[in-house]
Amino acid sequence: MAQAVQLGISLAAIGAIFWLARRMGLGGDVRIRDRDHACQIASDAFVSFKCSDAAVDLGGYSALVRDDDGRHVLIWILGNRFVTRMLSRDVEARLDQKQLTINPHEPGAEKIILTLGEAAQFWAAGLRHIPQ
Amino acid sequence: MTQFPNVLQYAVPGFILLIIIEMIWAKRNAPEKYEPRDTLSSLLFGTGSTAIGGLTAVAAAGIAMQVYDFRLTTIPVTWWTIALCFVLDDLAYYVFHRAAHRVRWFWASHVNHHSSQHYNLSTALRQTWTGFFSMTFIFRLPLALIGFHPAMILFVGAVNLLYQFWIHTEAVGRMPRWFEAVMNTPSHHRVHHATNPRYLDRNYAGVFIIWDKMFGTFAAETDAEPIRYGIVKQLGSFNLLWSVFHEWVGMITDLIKAPWHAKLGYLFGPPGWSHDNSRDTSDMIRARWQEQQNG
Repeated sequence: MAQAVQLGISLAAIGAIFWLARRMGLGGDVRIRDRDHACQIASDAFVSFKCSDAAVDLGGYSALVRDDDGRHVLIWILGNRFVTRMLSRDVEARLDQKQLTINPHEPGAEKIILTLGEAAQFWAAGLRHIPQ
Repeated sequence: MTQFPNVLQYAVPGFILLIIIEMIWAKRNAPEKYEPRDTLSSLLFGTGSTAIGGLTAVAAAGIAMQVYDFRLTTIPVTWWTIALCFVLDDLAYYVFHRAAHRVRWFWASHVNHHSSQHYNLSTALRQTWTGFFSMTFIFRLPLALIGFHPAMILFVGAVNLLYQFWIHTEAVGRMPRWFEAVMNTPSHHRVHHATNPRYLDRNYAGVFIIWDKMFGTFAAETDAEPIRYGIVKQLGSFNLLWSVFHEWVGMITDLIKAPWHAKLGYLFGPPGWSHDNSRDTSDMIRARWQEQQNG
Protein backbone atom coordinates (compact mmCIF):
# COMPACT_ATOMS: atom_id res chain seq x y z
CA MET A 1 0.00 0.00 0.00
CA ALA A 2 2.76 2.42 0.99
CA GLN A 3 4.57 1.64 -2.25
CA ALA A 4 1.44 2.33 -4.29
CA VAL A 5 1.08 5.72 -2.57
CA GLN A 6 4.75 6.43 -3.24
CA LEU A 7 4.27 5.55 -6.92
CA GLY A 8 1.22 7.82 -7.08
CA ILE A 9 3.15 10.73 -5.57
CA SER A 10 6.04 10.14 -7.98
CA LEU A 11 3.71 10.19 -10.98
CA ALA A 12 2.04 13.36 -9.71
CA ALA A 13 5.46 15.01 -9.29
CA ILE A 14 6.45 13.95 -12.81
CA GLY A 15 3.22 15.40 -14.19
CA ALA A 16 3.89 18.66 -12.33
CA ILE A 17 7.44 18.94 -13.68
CA PHE A 18 6.25 18.23 -17.23
CA TRP A 19 3.55 20.87 -16.90
CA LEU A 20 6.05 23.35 -15.48
CA ALA A 21 8.57 22.72 -18.26
CA ARG A 22 5.88 23.40 -20.88
CA ARG A 23 4.59 26.42 -19.00
CA MET A 24 8.11 27.87 -18.85
CA GLY A 25 8.43 27.47 -22.59
CA LEU A 26 11.51 25.27 -22.35
CA GLY A 27 12.67 23.59 -25.53
CA GLY A 28 12.15 26.37 -28.04
CA ASP A 29 11.47 26.08 -31.75
CA VAL A 30 14.25 24.36 -33.66
CA ARG A 31 14.39 24.17 -37.46
CA ILE A 32 16.85 23.12 -40.12
CA ARG A 33 17.98 26.54 -41.31
CA ASP A 34 19.35 25.84 -44.77
CA ARG A 35 21.37 23.39 -46.88
CA ASP A 36 24.62 24.12 -45.08
CA HIS A 37 22.97 23.43 -41.76
CA ALA A 38 21.57 20.13 -43.08
CA CYS A 39 25.01 19.16 -44.40
CA GLN A 40 26.56 19.96 -41.05
CA ILE A 41 24.05 17.80 -39.18
CA ALA A 42 24.67 14.85 -41.52
CA SER A 43 28.47 15.20 -41.34
CA ASP A 44 28.33 15.35 -37.55
CA ALA A 45 26.29 12.17 -37.44
CA PHE A 46 28.33 10.15 -39.96
CA VAL A 47 32.08 10.67 -39.82
CA SER A 48 32.94 9.71 -43.40
CA PHE A 49 29.93 11.40 -44.94
CA LYS A 50 30.90 14.31 -47.21
CA CYS A 51 27.78 16.19 -48.15
CA SER A 52 27.48 17.10 -51.83
CA ASP A 53 23.87 18.25 -51.99
CA ALA A 54 20.96 18.87 -49.65
CA ALA A 55 17.27 19.66 -49.84
CA VAL A 56 15.50 21.21 -46.89
CA ASP A 57 11.78 20.95 -46.28
CA LEU A 58 9.92 24.22 -46.77
CA GLY A 59 9.17 24.54 -43.06
CA GLY A 60 12.65 23.40 -42.01
CA TYR A 61 11.29 20.32 -40.23
CA SER A 62 13.23 17.73 -42.24
CA ALA A 63 15.90 17.41 -44.89
CA LEU A 64 17.56 15.02 -47.30
CA VAL A 65 21.30 15.08 -47.78
CA ARG A 66 23.47 13.04 -50.14
CA ASP A 67 27.11 12.49 -50.96
CA ASP A 68 28.96 11.84 -54.22
CA ASP A 69 28.57 8.09 -53.77
CA GLY A 70 24.79 8.40 -53.82
CA ARG A 71 24.34 7.73 -50.11
CA HIS A 72 21.37 9.58 -48.65
CA VAL A 73 20.81 10.80 -45.10
CA LEU A 74 17.35 11.69 -43.84
CA ILE A 75 17.13 14.30 -41.08
CA TRP A 76 14.11 15.17 -38.99
CA ILE A 77 13.38 17.00 -35.80
CA LEU A 78 12.44 15.26 -32.58
CA GLY A 79 11.59 17.67 -29.80
CA ASN A 80 14.31 20.26 -30.27
CA ARG A 81 17.02 17.93 -31.51
CA PHE A 82 17.83 16.29 -34.84
CA VAL A 83 17.56 12.62 -35.76
CA THR A 84 19.54 11.26 -38.71
CA ARG A 85 19.24 8.01 -40.63
CA MET A 86 21.39 6.69 -43.45
CA LEU A 87 18.81 5.42 -45.94
CA SER A 88 19.04 2.03 -47.54
CA ARG A 89 17.99 1.04 -51.04
CA ASP A 90 14.74 -0.49 -49.80
CA VAL A 91 13.56 2.78 -48.23
CA GLU A 92 9.80 3.29 -48.48
CA ALA A 93 9.25 6.65 -50.16
CA ARG A 94 6.22 8.13 -51.87
CA LEU A 95 6.28 11.06 -54.26
CA ASP A 96 3.22 13.28 -54.32
CA GLN A 97 3.94 16.16 -56.71
CA LYS A 98 6.00 18.51 -54.56
CA GLN A 99 6.06 16.36 -51.47
CA LEU A 100 8.17 13.37 -50.66
CA THR A 101 7.03 11.11 -47.82
CA ILE A 102 9.52 8.72 -46.26
CA ASN A 103 8.60 6.02 -43.76
CA PRO A 104 11.47 5.33 -41.35
CA HIS A 105 9.64 2.19 -40.11
CA GLU A 106 10.46 2.78 -36.46
CA PRO A 107 8.02 2.31 -33.60
CA GLY A 108 6.61 5.65 -32.54
CA ALA A 109 8.24 7.54 -35.39
CA GLU A 110 5.84 9.19 -37.80
CA LYS A 111 6.27 9.28 -41.54
CA ILE A 112 8.57 12.13 -42.53
CA ILE A 113 7.04 14.56 -45.00
CA LEU A 114 9.43 16.71 -47.00
CA THR A 115 7.92 19.60 -48.94
CA LEU A 116 10.65 20.13 -51.48
CA GLY A 117 8.87 21.88 -54.34
CA GLU A 118 10.14 21.12 -57.83
CA ALA A 119 13.16 19.31 -56.39
CA ALA A 120 11.00 16.52 -54.94
CA GLN A 121 11.09 14.48 -58.16
CA PHE A 122 14.85 14.76 -58.44
CA TRP A 123 15.35 13.53 -54.87
CA ALA A 124 12.80 10.75 -55.29
CA ALA A 125 14.78 9.53 -58.30
CA GLY A 126 17.95 9.68 -56.25
CA LEU A 127 16.48 7.41 -53.62
CA ARG A 128 16.04 4.69 -56.22
CA HIS A 129 19.78 4.66 -56.87
CA ILE A 130 21.13 4.35 -53.36
CA PRO A 131 24.18 2.06 -53.44
CA GLN A 132 24.05 -1.32 -51.68
CA MET B 1 24.00 -6.33 11.61
CA THR B 2 23.89 -2.52 11.43
CA GLN B 3 20.90 -1.09 9.58
CA PHE B 4 21.75 1.20 6.68
CA PRO B 5 19.40 3.99 5.64
CA ASN B 6 17.76 4.01 2.20
CA VAL B 7 19.51 7.18 1.07
CA LEU B 8 17.92 7.28 -2.36
CA GLN B 9 14.43 7.35 -0.92
CA TYR B 10 15.32 10.38 1.22
CA ALA B 11 17.01 12.07 -1.73
CA VAL B 12 14.01 12.08 -4.07
CA PRO B 13 12.55 15.44 -2.87
CA GLY B 14 16.04 16.93 -3.30
CA PHE B 15 16.22 15.55 -6.88
CA ILE B 16 12.90 17.20 -7.73
CA LEU B 17 13.91 20.51 -6.18
CA LEU B 18 17.25 20.57 -8.00
CA ILE B 19 15.58 19.74 -11.33
CA ILE B 20 13.22 22.68 -10.86
CA ILE B 21 16.14 24.97 -9.99
CA GLU B 22 17.98 23.81 -13.10
CA MET B 23 14.85 24.41 -15.19
CA ILE B 24 14.74 28.00 -13.91
CA TRP B 25 18.42 28.35 -14.81
CA ALA B 26 17.65 26.98 -18.28
CA LYS B 27 14.73 29.34 -18.73
CA ARG B 28 17.04 32.29 -18.06
CA ASN B 29 20.14 31.10 -19.87
CA ALA B 30 19.47 28.33 -22.36
CA PRO B 31 15.85 27.16 -22.81
CA GLU B 32 16.98 24.55 -25.36
CA LYS B 33 18.73 22.56 -22.63
CA TYR B 34 15.37 21.13 -21.62
CA GLU B 35 12.61 19.63 -23.72
CA PRO B 36 9.38 18.81 -21.88
CA ARG B 37 8.73 15.45 -23.59
CA ASP B 38 12.33 14.39 -23.14
CA THR B 39 12.15 15.30 -19.45
CA LEU B 40 8.88 13.42 -19.09
CA SER B 41 10.45 10.38 -20.72
CA SER B 42 13.52 10.52 -18.45
CA LEU B 43 11.42 10.82 -15.30
CA LEU B 44 9.20 7.92 -16.34
CA PHE B 45 12.35 5.89 -16.93
CA GLY B 46 13.35 6.70 -13.36
CA THR B 47 10.00 5.77 -11.86
CA GLY B 48 9.80 2.51 -13.81
CA SER B 49 13.36 1.65 -12.87
CA THR B 50 12.65 2.27 -9.18
CA ALA B 51 9.44 0.21 -9.27
CA ILE B 52 11.09 -2.73 -11.06
CA GLY B 53 14.20 -2.36 -8.90
CA GLY B 54 12.03 -2.72 -5.81
CA LEU B 55 10.72 -6.03 -7.10
CA THR B 56 14.07 -7.44 -8.19
CA ALA B 57 16.11 -6.12 -5.24
CA VAL B 58 14.97 -9.05 -3.09
CA ALA B 59 16.31 -11.54 -5.63
CA ALA B 60 19.57 -9.63 -6.07
CA ALA B 61 20.02 -9.41 -2.28
CA GLY B 62 19.32 -13.13 -2.00
CA ILE B 63 22.02 -13.93 -4.53
CA ALA B 64 24.45 -11.59 -2.74
CA MET B 65 23.69 -13.33 0.58
CA GLN B 66 24.38 -16.72 -1.04
CA VAL B 67 27.76 -15.45 -2.24
CA TYR B 68 28.43 -13.87 1.17
CA ASP B 69 28.12 -17.32 2.71
CA PHE B 70 31.33 -18.23 0.87
CA ARG B 71 33.20 -15.06 1.98
CA LEU B 72 36.94 -15.12 2.50
CA THR B 73 36.68 -13.16 5.74
CA THR B 74 34.10 -11.26 7.76
CA ILE B 75 34.61 -7.51 7.54
CA PRO B 76 33.13 -5.58 10.47
CA VAL B 77 31.02 -2.45 10.04
CA THR B 78 33.19 0.53 11.01
CA TRP B 79 33.62 3.95 9.40
CA TRP B 80 36.80 2.87 7.65
CA THR B 81 35.42 -0.41 6.30
CA ILE B 82 32.46 1.53 4.90
CA ALA B 83 34.92 3.97 3.29
CA LEU B 84 36.97 1.08 1.90
CA CYS B 85 33.83 -0.60 0.61
CA PHE B 86 32.83 2.68 -1.06
CA VAL B 87 36.15 2.93 -2.91
CA LEU B 88 36.15 -0.72 -3.97
CA ASP B 89 32.51 -0.48 -4.99
CA ASP B 90 33.41 2.49 -7.17
CA LEU B 91 36.09 0.38 -8.84
CA ALA B 92 33.48 -2.35 -9.37
CA TYR B 93 31.22 0.33 -10.83
CA TYR B 94 33.97 1.35 -13.25
CA VAL B 95 34.35 -2.26 -14.42
CA PHE B 96 30.58 -2.64 -14.77
CA HIS B 97 30.26 0.65 -16.61
CA ARG B 98 33.06 -0.17 -19.01
CA ALA B 99 31.45 -3.54 -19.74
CA ALA B 100 28.10 -1.80 -20.16
CA HIS B 101 29.58 0.17 -23.05
CA ARG B 102 31.72 -2.56 -24.57
CA VAL B 103 29.47 -5.63 -24.39
CA ARG B 104 26.17 -5.44 -26.21
CA TRP B 105 24.35 -7.65 -23.69
CA PHE B 106 24.99 -5.10 -20.95
CA TRP B 107 24.65 -2.14 -23.33
CA ALA B 108 21.08 -3.25 -24.15
CA SER B 109 20.19 -2.20 -20.61
CA HIS B 110 22.56 0.70 -20.15
CA VAL B 111 21.69 2.39 -23.45
CA ASN B 112 18.56 3.71 -21.73
CA HIS B 113 20.64 6.08 -19.66
CA HIS B 114 22.26 7.51 -22.79
CA SER B 115 19.36 7.70 -25.19
CA SER B 116 18.39 11.29 -24.41
CA GLN B 117 19.90 13.98 -26.63
CA HIS B 118 19.76 16.32 -23.66
CA TYR B 119 22.06 16.49 -20.69
CA ASN B 120 20.42 17.80 -17.58
CA LEU B 121 19.54 16.59 -14.10
CA SER B 122 16.51 14.69 -15.37
CA THR B 123 18.89 12.61 -17.52
CA ALA B 124 20.45 11.29 -14.31
CA LEU B 125 17.15 9.64 -13.43
CA ARG B 126 16.91 7.99 -16.83
CA GLN B 127 17.75 4.52 -15.55
CA THR B 128 17.28 1.10 -17.04
CA TRP B 129 14.32 -1.20 -16.42
CA THR B 130 16.20 -4.34 -17.40
CA GLY B 131 19.32 -4.16 -15.25
CA PHE B 132 18.47 -7.21 -13.18
CA PHE B 133 17.61 -9.25 -16.26
CA SER B 134 20.97 -8.42 -17.84
CA MET B 135 22.60 -9.48 -14.55
CA THR B 136 24.59 -6.30 -13.99
CA PHE B 137 24.60 -7.07 -10.26
CA ILE B 138 27.35 -9.66 -10.84
CA PHE B 139 29.93 -6.88 -10.89
CA ARG B 140 29.34 -6.17 -7.20
CA LEU B 141 29.38 -9.81 -6.06
CA PRO B 142 33.19 -9.93 -5.59
CA LEU B 143 32.76 -7.46 -2.72
CA ALA B 144 30.45 -9.90 -0.95
CA LEU B 145 32.92 -12.68 -1.65
CA ILE B 146 35.68 -10.65 -0.01
CA GLY B 147 33.52 -10.26 3.08
CA PHE B 148 31.62 -6.97 2.87
CA HIS B 149 28.05 -7.46 4.04
CA PRO B 150 25.51 -7.12 1.17
CA ALA B 151 23.64 -4.43 3.13
CA MET B 152 26.82 -2.36 3.23
CA ILE B 153 27.41 -2.92 -0.49
CA LEU B 154 23.83 -1.83 -1.21
CA PHE B 155 24.33 1.28 0.93
CA VAL B 156 27.59 2.42 -0.67
CA GLY B 157 26.13 1.64 -4.11
CA ALA B 158 23.21 3.95 -3.33
CA VAL B 159 25.58 6.70 -2.16
CA ASN B 160 27.54 6.23 -5.39
CA LEU B 161 24.36 6.66 -7.45
CA LEU B 162 23.40 9.67 -5.35
CA TYR B 163 26.74 11.33 -6.08
CA GLN B 164 26.24 10.80 -9.80
CA PHE B 165 23.02 12.80 -9.84
CA TRP B 166 24.56 16.27 -9.65
CA ILE B 167 27.15 15.67 -12.38
CA HIS B 168 24.42 15.43 -15.04
CA THR B 169 24.28 19.13 -15.78
CA GLU B 170 25.53 21.80 -18.13
CA ALA B 171 24.84 24.47 -15.53
CA VAL B 172 28.20 23.76 -13.87
CA GLY B 173 31.31 24.49 -15.92
CA ARG B 174 34.55 23.30 -14.33
CA MET B 175 35.19 22.55 -10.67
CA PRO B 176 38.48 23.54 -8.93
CA ARG B 177 41.49 21.83 -10.47
CA TRP B 178 42.20 19.55 -7.50
CA PHE B 179 38.59 18.36 -7.56
CA GLU B 180 38.62 17.73 -11.33
CA ALA B 181 41.83 15.71 -10.85
CA VAL B 182 40.32 13.21 -8.44
CA MET B 183 36.55 13.30 -8.66
CA ASN B 184 34.07 12.70 -11.43
CA THR B 185 32.56 16.07 -12.33
CA PRO B 186 29.95 17.53 -14.69
CA SER B 187 32.73 18.28 -17.17
CA HIS B 188 34.10 14.71 -17.14
CA HIS B 189 30.67 13.18 -17.34
CA ARG B 190 29.55 15.43 -20.21
CA VAL B 191 32.37 13.79 -22.16
CA HIS B 192 30.98 10.40 -21.24
CA HIS B 193 27.52 11.25 -22.62
CA ALA B 194 28.91 12.70 -25.86
CA THR B 195 28.57 11.12 -29.29
CA ASN B 196 31.42 13.14 -30.80
CA PRO B 197 33.94 10.57 -32.08
CA ARG B 198 36.76 12.03 -29.96
CA TYR B 199 34.74 11.31 -26.82
CA LEU B 200 33.17 7.92 -27.56
CA ASP B 201 33.63 5.35 -24.79
CA ARG B 202 35.50 7.60 -22.41
CA ASN B 203 35.17 8.51 -18.71
CA TYR B 204 33.40 5.49 -17.25
CA ALA B 205 33.97 6.63 -13.67
CA GLY B 206 31.23 6.80 -11.08
CA VAL B 207 32.68 8.91 -8.26
CA PHE B 208 36.48 8.86 -8.69
CA ILE B 209 37.83 9.82 -12.13
CA ILE B 210 41.17 8.28 -11.17
CA TRP B 211 40.05 4.88 -12.51
CA ASP B 212 39.81 6.28 -16.04
CA LYS B 213 43.22 7.87 -15.67
CA MET B 214 44.67 4.61 -14.37
CA PHE B 215 43.14 2.42 -17.07
CA GLY B 216 43.60 4.75 -20.06
CA THR B 217 40.00 5.69 -20.74
CA PHE B 218 40.10 9.33 -19.68
CA ALA B 219 39.36 12.24 -22.00
CA ALA B 220 39.19 15.87 -20.94
CA GLU B 221 36.41 18.11 -22.16
CA THR B 222 37.52 20.62 -24.78
CA ASP B 223 35.81 23.92 -25.45
CA ALA B 224 36.80 23.71 -29.11
CA GLU B 225 33.97 21.36 -30.08
CA PRO B 226 30.39 21.54 -28.83
CA ILE B 227 29.19 18.27 -27.34
CA ARG B 228 26.42 16.34 -29.04
CA TYR B 229 24.65 14.14 -26.52
CA GLY B 230 22.87 10.83 -26.92
CA ILE B 231 23.71 7.67 -28.80
CA VAL B 232 25.29 7.14 -32.20
CA LYS B 233 21.94 6.12 -33.71
CA GLN B 234 19.58 8.56 -32.01
CA LEU B 235 16.11 7.44 -31.01
CA GLY B 236 13.53 8.51 -33.55
CA SER B 237 10.63 9.01 -31.15
CA PHE B 238 9.63 9.59 -27.53
CA ASN B 239 7.79 6.26 -27.39
CA LEU B 240 8.65 5.07 -23.87
CA LEU B 241 8.43 1.32 -24.43
CA TRP B 242 10.48 1.55 -27.61
CA SER B 243 13.03 3.65 -25.74
CA VAL B 244 13.28 1.00 -23.01
CA PHE B 245 13.47 -2.07 -25.21
CA HIS B 246 14.81 -0.93 -28.60
CA GLU B 247 18.30 -2.35 -28.13
CA TRP B 248 16.94 -5.66 -26.84
CA VAL B 249 14.69 -5.88 -29.90
CA GLY B 250 17.63 -5.04 -32.17
CA MET B 251 19.88 -7.56 -30.50
CA ILE B 252 17.36 -10.39 -30.65
CA THR B 253 16.56 -9.59 -34.28
CA ASP B 254 20.28 -9.70 -35.12
CA LEU B 255 20.66 -12.92 -33.17
CA ILE B 256 17.89 -14.62 -35.13
CA LYS B 257 19.18 -13.45 -38.51
CA ALA B 258 22.87 -14.10 -37.85
CA PRO B 259 24.67 -17.19 -39.14
CA TRP B 260 25.52 -19.68 -36.40
CA HIS B 261 29.19 -18.78 -36.16
CA ALA B 262 28.31 -15.11 -35.54
CA LYS B 263 25.51 -15.38 -33.00
CA LEU B 264 27.66 -14.93 -29.91
CA GLY B 265 29.24 -11.84 -31.44
CA TYR B 266 25.86 -10.11 -31.54
CA LEU B 267 25.36 -10.85 -27.84
CA PHE B 268 28.78 -10.27 -26.38
CA GLY B 269 30.62 -8.25 -29.02
CA PRO B 270 30.79 -4.48 -28.75
CA PRO B 271 27.70 -2.45 -29.72
CA GLY B 272 27.77 -1.90 -33.49
CA TRP B 273 29.64 -5.12 -34.17
CA SER B 274 28.50 -7.10 -37.20
CA HIS B 275 29.85 -10.27 -38.78
CA ASP B 276 29.98 -8.66 -42.24
CA ASN B 277 31.38 -5.30 -41.12
CA SER B 278 28.25 -3.56 -42.33
CA ARG B 279 28.02 -1.49 -39.15
CA ASP B 280 30.36 0.59 -37.04
CA THR B 281 31.61 0.06 -33.53
CA SER B 282 32.79 3.10 -31.57
CA ASP B 283 36.40 2.05 -32.20
CA MET B 284 35.78 2.05 -35.95
CA ILE B 285 34.10 5.48 -35.79
CA ARG B 286 36.96 6.90 -33.76
CA ALA B 287 39.59 5.42 -36.09
CA ARG B 288 37.87 6.91 -39.14
CA TRP B 289 37.60 10.27 -37.40
CA GLN B 290 41.28 10.11 -36.41
CA GLU B 291 42.18 9.34 -40.01
CA GLN B 292 40.20 12.36 -41.11
CA GLN B 293 41.94 14.56 -38.54
CA ASN B 294 45.34 13.39 -39.76
CA GLY B 295 44.38 14.50 -43.23
